[in-house]
Amino acid sequence: MVKEYFKPTDVEEALGLLSAPGALALAGGTWALAFEGRDKPERVVDLGAALPRSIERRGEATRIGAYATFQEIIESAAAPAVVKAAAASMANRNTRNRATIGGNLGANKSCASLVPVLLALGASVESKARGKPSATMPLADWLSRPEGLVLTVIVPADAGVRAASLRASRTACDIATATAACAYRLEGGKLSGLRVAVGGFGPHAELRPDIAALFEGEALPPKADIEKAVGPLLAALADQRGSAEYKRLRGAALVADALYSAQELS
Amino acid sequence: MKIRFKLNGRAVSWDCEPGETLRAALRRKGIVSVRDGCDGEGSCGLCAVILDGRLVNSCQILAPQAEGSSVLTVDYYSNERKLSIVQRALIEASCVQCGYCTPAVVLALHDLLERSPRPSDEELRDALSGTLCRCTGYEQFYEAARIASERLADPEYVVPLGPEFRPDLRHVGKDRDKVDAPALARGEKAFVEDRVDADACHLKLLTSPHAHAWIKRVDVSKALEMPGVVDIVTHENCPDLVYTTAGQGFPEPSPHDQRMFPRKVRHVGDRVAAVLAETPEEAQAALEAIVVEYEVLKPVLSIAEAKAPGAPIVHHGDVSYVVGDPPAGSSVKGDGRDDPIVYQFPLHADPHRNLAASVADGIGDAEKGFAEADVVIERTYVGKRVQCTPMEPHVVYAKVDADRLVIHASTQVPWHLRRIVSRAIGIPENKVRVIKERVGGGFGAKQDIVLEDVAGYMAWKTRRPVLFRYDRAMEFMTSRTRHGMEITVKLGAKRDGTLTAMEMRVEADTGPYGQHCLTVPMNAVSKSLPLILCDNARFTVKTYYTNLSPAGAYQGYGAPKGSFALQGTLAELAAELGMDQLDLIEKNRVRSGSRIEILRSLGEGRPGAPVTLGECGLGEMIARGRKAFAWDEPKPVSDDPDWKIGRGAVIIQQGSGLPGLDAANAELRLLTDGTLLMLSGGADLGTGLDTVTAKAAAEIMGLDMADVTVVSGDTDTTPFDKGAYASSGTYFSGNAAVRAAEDLRDKCVKVAAGLLGEPASDLGIQPGGIVRGKRGEISLAKLAHMATQGEGHGDLVGFGNFKTDHAAFPYGAHFTEAAVNVRTGEVKLRRFHAYQDCGTPINPALAIGQIYGGVMKAIGHSLYEEMLYDSEGRPLNLGFTDYKIPSIFEVPDDFHVELVPVEDEVGPFGGKSVSEISLNSAAPAISIAIHDAVGAWCRVWPFTPERVLRAMGKL
Repeated sequence: MVKEYFKPTDVEEALGLLSAPGALALAGGTWALAFEGRDKPERVVDLGAALPRSIERRGEATRIGAYATFQEIIESAAAPAVVKAAAASMANRNTRNRATIGGNLGANKSCASLVPVLLALGASVESKARGKPSATMPLADWLSRPEGLVLTVIVPADAGVRAASLRASRTACDIATATAACAYRLEGGKLSGLRVAVGGFGPHAELRPDIAALFEGEALPPKADIEKAVGPLLAALADQRGSAEYKRLRGAALVADALYSAQELS
Repeated sequence: MKIRFKLNGRAVSWDCEPGETLRAALRRKGIVSVRDGCDGEGSCGLCAVILDGRLVNSCQILAPQAEGSSVLTVDYYSNERKLSIVQRALIEASCVQCGYCTPAVVLALHDLLERSPRPSDEELRDALSGTLCRCTGYEQFYEAARIASERLADPEYVVPLGPEFRPDLRHVGKDRDKVDAPALARGEKAFVEDRVDADACHLKLLTSPHAHAWIKRVDVSKALEMPGVVDIVTHENCPDLVYTTAGQGFPEPSPHDQRMFPRKVRHVGDRVAAVLAETPEEAQAALEAIVVEYEVLKPVLSIAEAKAPGAPIVHHGDVSYVVGDPPAGSSVKGDGRDDPIVYQFPLHADPHRNLAASVADGIGDAEKGFAEADVVIERTYVGKRVQCTPMEPHVVYAKVDADRLVIHASTQVPWHLRRIVSRAIGIPENKVRVIKERVGGGFGAKQDIVLEDVAGYMAWKTRRPVLFRYDRAMEFMTSRTRHGMEITVKLGAKRDGTLTAMEMRVEADTGPYGQHCLTVPMNAVSKSLPLILCDNARFTVKTYYTNLSPAGAYQGYGAPKGSFALQGTLAELAAELGMDQLDLIEKNRVRSGSRIEILRSLGEGRPGAPVTLGECGLGEMIARGRKAFAWDEPKPVSDDPDWKIGRGAVIIQQGSGLPGLDAANAELRLLTDGTLLMLSGGADLGTGLDTVTAKAAAEIMGLDMADVTVVSGDTDTTPFDKGAYASSGTYFSGNAAVRAAEDLRDKCVKVAAGLLGEPASDLGIQPGGIVRGKRGEISLAKLAHMATQGEGHGDLVGFGNFKTDHAAFPYGAHFTEAAVNVRTGEVKLRRFHAYQDCGTPINPALAIGQIYGGVMKAIGHSLYEEMLYDSEGRPLNLGFTDYKIPSIFEVPDDFHVELVPVEDEVGPFGGKSVSEISLNSAAPAISIAIHDAVGAWCRVWPFTPERVLRAMGKL
């Protein structure tokens, strides 16, 4: 049961408050208060006044404040279209109006809407741990060892990069059964610098260099060949959204479709 | 802690707990319009508010987070009882059915119009993407948005008239506002949860974690001593009798096999103990202090397991019969330990072999018919369990007032509720009053007495007011679901398609208790076989006990699954014969003047009788669909090679109440100013029944709708009605209202004749409420005033009773066009057209809304919904995050309803039922379309992408 509610106005203060055992870092609350927060912690630290929220273009990168909501990303002129599309894939507008990019990274669920595309784009994060200066690191690194709070997500938008983010779900508003995102350049008709991230095949969405390696330096194969090659690399647990066999097939089809539907970021 | 924010434009300063949600705080302060349908998962959107200009779910915001913000609720738009542009538009577009989601929709549309005064359909979908509605099917929301948008530009905008019927009548057949819609659109107090007193105690259940177990020991001693605990009931101190929770006519065709608290738990979620405490938290804490020791038994988790030799026995108590003898060979001697089972009359049951009920019958000689056939096919279709999911879960508020038990109920059956609860508690019916509040969706689940018995008992016992509200998980676990069914259909036909024999073998799973165990599965036969003319037909129905969740009534009753099996097998037969599917239907379907012999063997709990059909509109409905879908032309071809397109069509039917079994009554009072009070026994659960009865009164008494107020479903103040089930609302309750109005009209004419000195035969009621003769006239107001004076004739009251042996069948022909992805198995509905005969549509747009809603539910069942269990019988999907009902995104691209009325000679103004039939088409139509698209038959619903791929041989 919640006994304390804090709304700190700076990050260091927030980190201090969060250092209490079991304290909940509250961003949009669409996951924490719906599910994990059911057994409410004794202390809630509302990050609304402590984290940046703006979305701005700086050079070839877009900087997205951790407290920016999915809907604000969609409405932003600065966010890349593929990131907007990934945000819009969370079909429930009520949820998009609260859910934040920082919360999506913090929860780091396998079905996360934004994580795969950010990984595929090679996003980095500026984060801060208690008592330490802020640091910038690849998102993949932060997700593998999350420490402190993400302040800003930095999304590169290099010219010539193509990217896509797709999801499969039972209904539009269901959480994803599988997600797939990719980013690559086409050089001489061949895939270059390919990154592929998938969700739904493990506890977290993650980059899959093994999948990318299948097609790096190659011309885009027919979809059926992609599915045949990718399927054996995907392992999922059976649950109410489908058997492991089905999820493997569906994930492979998503990867194929993502590779084919990738559009230039600009 | 203190929070300060602006609520609906006014500054407020509230005390709140740090962990209190904004929704809870708003409700605590009297803002009732923030509803709860998903336990805070954020998937239903019914608690929506506009926070600093953004539509958000107030269940996922802590109250302290509102500090310094602006919060708008629907009340902002409901000032001084006015209706906003959006509220008005929702009413005019007939979008307000149960009304539980309406405040959220009002906010979503205002938010949309603020951003986009001329919204596109895509923008509307996005605006309503977070709001679940189970009643409307979403389609009419598009029209509401268009109306509101037009009114923004032109406040005088007049909505074009929709289809109208019966030009000879003033109100009937014309669209009028649903009588309860304005209050619901304003988000006013209307539902049970809005009637709760501040001193109410809270009831919580301790439920079984096991699917099948003896309760060896239950120790409540520690829990009883805990703070705030008022009382605890278990199997050791509850009333010692069994009853059925099925709200059916008495004696019920359902075994009395449920004790308030069973000695043996029979499903995960079965009752173990109930705690009544001052607060929900105290009740929860006490629950956790109860110690229970179980002897876990092997559960029965499927029909196959239930009927297997040596299967665990779900009910092993003594079996007795009030009337009649046990079936030969059945076991009646119990194990001496389990609760007894009492059948009101024989249902060909053998509970100790898990057989809850069975029946077999037929006409002609099926064996001979199959022998004469050129082609015989036999197929088994499986319909999985689906949940009714009313957006308002089961809820009851019971209290003792003046030494009587008063139950505020969200129920479809106030009188059955009174009977069952009074018997369960052991008090006479005159000591019980049931007040049906507005019902936030029922769909059959609220035909059963799911929680009122224990709430009523504890209120009566403790004299404390009791609030008992299910959360969504409890709703899934222990409310009522559609029976799981496996239906084998065997058809024999000549090469030209003439059917020579039909057979249906229905096996159903009723779960742990036998409510509706005969009638629902029987309905799978009785609402499907009579569509097809064949001299030789037979059927068997067997219903088994299992340890899955309780099954019961669900809109459509057994018909959707029967229709799935029979229409699907007919399509398979057409394919086998190389015939067009519709040509095969045309060759064998019922038509005007058909004599339907099979009805001889399809009486529900009583002997049936053949019926000679009057006019039948199926030919016209099929022709319209055939034309709209260019059925005789090549089907459309997708330009995406991954997607293949297919079409399917089915014919469907339902009934209109239970002729010979049920009855309805109404009373119409002329008030002293010439207005009317309709006292209807009918239970309007969002369907518009109160509007039907109001129309009957206004039409017959020559008044306007505004001159009629309807009070309904109150067992103290309104007369008996069987309740809202079996498609009986319009036909039975509506007809009772017609008769009450006719009775009052005749009495008014008689009294006026005396006053005017003219023969009654010269008098009639004219529009405007004038009784006019050849020489004089008198207003109803004056008549009422004079009648109630000392020299008058007394209160002018009309009374109407309706019962009938006449069977009125609504028919329909539904068409769909589906696209199937050959790589992923996904199915998208490009088109769905429903051509339907409901007789005279009493309120056309409301009737159309009922059909949209019914079809949309069935689309959900067909494509997405399935209750899942693990190997121990534990339910796996207990919320809207995991059990997906359709949102506005799942609505077919081209969704169309067209009424093709054929007036019924007995129905009110020629009306028949409209809603339930709509659920009978989607599963077979979509299954047939999938086959047409990719050549694979999907015989198990729902047709998930995985099942489609398996049917295609790709998995």
